[in-house]
Amino acid sequence: MRDTAAPRVQARLWDAPTRIVHWALVAAIGFAWWAAETDHMDWHRLAGYVVLGLLVFRLVWGFAGSASARFASFVKGPAATLAYVRSLRLRAHAEVPGHNPLGAWSVLAILATLVVQVVTGLFAVDVDGIESGPLSDRVDFDTGRLFAAWHHASFSALEALVLLHLAAIAFYAVYKRADLVRPMLTGRGSFARDPGLAFAPLWRAALVAAFAVFVAWWTARGLRL
Amino acid sequence: MGVRFGMTAAGLALVAALAAGAATALASGAPSGAAAVKARQQNFKQLGGAFKAINDELKKPAPDKAVIVANAAKMHGLAQQEATWFPKGSGPEAGVKTGAKPEIWSDPQGFAAAIQRLQGATARLQQVSASGDLAAIRSEVQTTGGACKNCHDHYRVPDRH
Repeated sequence: MRDTAAPRVQARLWDAPTRIVHWALVAAIGFAWWAAETDHMDWHRLAGYVVLGLLVFRLVWGFAGSASARFASFVKGPAATLAYVRSLRLRAHAEVPGHNPLGAWSVLAILATLVVQVVTGLFAVDVDGIESGPLSDRVDFDTGRLFAAWHHASFSALEALVLLHLAAIAFYAVYKRADLVRPMLTGRGSFARDPGLAFAPLWRAALVAAFAVFVAWWTARGLRL
Repeated sequence: MGVRFGMTAAGLALVAALAAGAATALASGAPSGAAAVKARQQNFKQLGGAFKAINDELKKPAPDKAVIVANAAKMHGLAQQEATWFPKGSGPEAGVKTGAKPEIWSDPQGFAAAIQRLQGATARLQQVSASGDLAAIRSEVQTTGGACKNCHDHYRVPDRH
């Protein structure tokens, strides 16, 4: 469809906060994974607090952020999702300014898994009672061990979701000739016509970021001020 | 007839005596490898739980000294018994899941030294706990954790939990 005569317009799609959170999550989760695998648990905890802060920001931004970041704008019911799934086999890209109805469920699944990942980590205890999350003193040893097992299981789920995410990007790139990566880097997408999305002011992002930093800091201190 | 009965009775008595002896030996002798693994895991759970209790206190703004003292004593007591938790036959050959490496039995001197290192650490941890000096307690907790890890790195199969 790119080669049709109709001129395409470049327009804003993802705001800076959404993009920064996206790539910072990639970096922090990757780093946390490496730190855990190499027994750098101080760094693993630190990375976990960063993920917690980013997650808090993204969840609040899903209600108070720019149009393309709001859950209400992209989470659709089963009928719309099914209709979109049926359009998947068409080579033509059903242009949605932002998350499509199917991708929306992927976003929700990733965010939900990250919530489980972070919360289980807060209470987890290692087999020796040496390393533990900042809230592990609220649970006994056996419960802390159970949280550690869930922390592992949810990371496997996260790995599966990330693979699915990458596979979807590859599918759109090859089959639909749609580049999903560039807009997440530059913030701008290519459209048949300007979708005219609304964007949240920067001061609101600063306010939400301050709240997210506070939540992460407070949690790191074991919910003690 | 009388002689045969006597022979049979003597034979039966002998069999009974042998059976009783075998049963006594089984009951009082060394536990099976699998049972030793289970008992060992319970003991290490006690050790880990006591260490967690100390670490939990150190997370709080006002750690409870009594809890630290009690659990340091518990850890030191368990460390004293630790060498007895590894009877021969309780390694991988026990037939149940265990992280105990064969090196525990093939390198008894190295293993004994690793246990001694823990005992030294828990002894000092117990001492500083009684003093109530939080900085010193934190430092000895680090040393004790290091002693745990030292042994695990050499004699335990890596556990990814």
